[in-house]
Amino acid sequence: LGGASTLFEPSRLYIRWCARKLETRRACDDAFKQLARSAEKCPTRTVASFPRTRRLTPLGLGVLLLASAWLGTAHAQDGRPTLYVFLQLDVKPNVLEQTLQKQLPGIAVTVFGRFRDFQDVVATRRPDAILAIPPLLDLDHTKPTLQGAKGGRDWEAYVLVSAGGTQPSSLSGKTVGVVDLLGHDGTQAFAASVLKTSDLKVKRVAKIEDLLPLLEFSAADAILIPGAVVKRLTERTRLPLAVHELPGARVGLPAVAVLRPAARDTVVRSLQGLDAETKSILGIDNWSSR
Amino acid sequence: MLHAAKRLTCCAGLAVALSACATTGDGSGHAEAVAPVVDPPAQPGAPLLLLAMPPSADFQDVRRAFIAETKKNFNISTFMVSGATTPGDLAAAITRSSPTCLVLMNNATVALYREYQTAHRDEKMPPAVVVMTSFLEELRGSLKNATGIAYEVPGVTAFVDLRSVIRAPVRRVGVVYRPRFRAFIERQKKLASREQIDLVAAEVGKEVDAPGLRAALHTLLAGDKVDVLWMLNDNELIKNAQFLDDTWRAELATAKVPLVVGVPNLVDPRTPLGSFAVVPDHEALGLQTANLIFDLDSSDWHADEHDVELPLSVKTIADLKQLRDSFGLKEDALRHIDRALE
Repeated sequence: LGGASTLFEPSRLYIRWCARKLETRRACDDAFKQLARSAEKCPTRTVASFPRTRRLTPLGLGVLLLASAWLGTAHAQDGRPTLYVFLQLDVKPNVLEQTLQKQLPGIAVTVFGRFRDFQDVVATRRPDAILAIPPLLDLDHTKPTLQGAKGGRDWEAYVLVSAGGTQPSSLSGKTVGVVDLLGHDGTQAFAASVLKTSDLKVKRVAKIEDLLPLLEFSAADAILIPGAVVKRLTERTRLPLAVHELPGARVGLPAVAVLRPAARDTVVRSLQGLDAETKSILGIDNWSSR
Repeated sequence: MLHAAKRLTCCAGLAVALSACATTGDGSGHAEAVAPVVDPPAQPGAPLLLLAMPPSADFQDVRRAFIAETKKNFNISTFMVSGATTPGDLAAAITRSSPTCLVLMNNATVALYREYQTAHRDEKMPPAVVVMTSFLEELRGSLKNATGIAYEVPGVTAFVDLRSVIRAPVRRVGVVYRPRFRAFIERQKKLASREQIDLVAAEVGKEVDAPGLRAALHTLLAGDKVDVLWMLNDNELIKNAQFLDDTWRAELATAKVPLVVGVPNLVDPRTPLGSFAVVPDHEALGLQTANLIFDLDSSDWHADEHDVELPLSVKTIADLKQLRDSFGLKEDALRHIDRALE
């Protein structure tokens, strides 16, 4: 198993793909022969170019920082207010961004899929508004201007889900999977607060859909999720699940903080105009002003 | 007017600078941007992690996410590995930095480190975390005080993701494999069974020819009546374009089942073959690697006592036309696909 020469090397397929673009099968096969010689130098490598949203190289970020200091805060180039969104929902970030952008033509919307990306960019390029859960706004010492609500409540219950049909009798020393909402220390504190014990090991995952593999691989004893996500989870998996409600485990629903007062009216008016389907994706059915 | 001109000049300068940031390459011919490597500023007294890695883009993605997570708690030193790097170069880097833990990326880097361990067999080895290598579970036995995260996406992850977007059943999945993949396949069978999916495996010889592969695929499709085919990332099963035409495409033309692949390039609606690709999410892998470092830190760095982890996060690419027309898309399928191609 020492070398990778007999393993599949995706870059070979990249060459094949390029060759097909040129409609030259012969060139493609030549490329295969050349790559066979260099295969063991290469790791298994994915050649997909996924939309690399909201990520910059360190140098690029530095240049952008300098520029933004000169150009001002993160207003959209066309003058629209900017809204940065970080929510862990059961929908891909690019889909959420498209949906929100379509509904909010007067605002430049950017959706972040990971806490660190969101935190880094918000720290350097101050947006006009943020849409996130209240614990994240607290972390940034910002107060909600609009608070989402569902069924008259501005919070949702979190539940503990385990595989095998039974809950662990005690959480002491157990491993609990949690989506990275607040970074290493913040997420640890969040889980300890919700579960009312600090004697547990928290496994952070980047996305909400990454929690199921923790149960499938027996890498966690349980996962901590919003109650609203249980339905989708049970649709995805055939694992027998035990859902345990946690008294007092209430986390605020998505809220909007306006950071630039001049943008307040536009942001508030636009978000209040979201249609019911989009609000449903956000897990709310109404906004209340704060 | 002058102000506007200044801004234009600045923006033009920005564009030039940003494009310059994206030109560093590894000589592999890929057009993807590779960032110059700058380690975070050193913090007095913080333990040091030595990252040994190749410079190309996917590794940089893992590194970037890893550093974002660990830079508050650790110093980071990055050692770039190229084809010219010798075990002596790596040994010098280890001696120079005296790391609390090593993070090793890719097979070539691990091979160098194995040589280092052999040359220093009587010394105590620092813990090592290995990522982005093939068959880590098997490789680990040849390393002292090492653990890591397997790079191969578990089949069950792909099958569950596919099942959550199509209406057609995903109960029996067929896979063709060579003898060296036997242990891997056995592990995959156990994982799939937890999700009530039968992995039906057909072993072929060490060297695979088109008639042999086609016969194995035919048995899976016509005899075992599998609902889905899974193509392993194995050179011998893919070889070249003609081979794909003569084997996978030929069999799939008569049996309408989805083909799950491990590389995105095989999903192309213009030349349909793969229906659904599932690939590692490299930024999330950086987070998982950081979590593993924190775990080791809290357990006195006993890497050899920590099981190899499976990758938790993936990205999905779908041939939407193929899935919709032949297997039926679930109502909210588009919300759960990273990249939908038509």
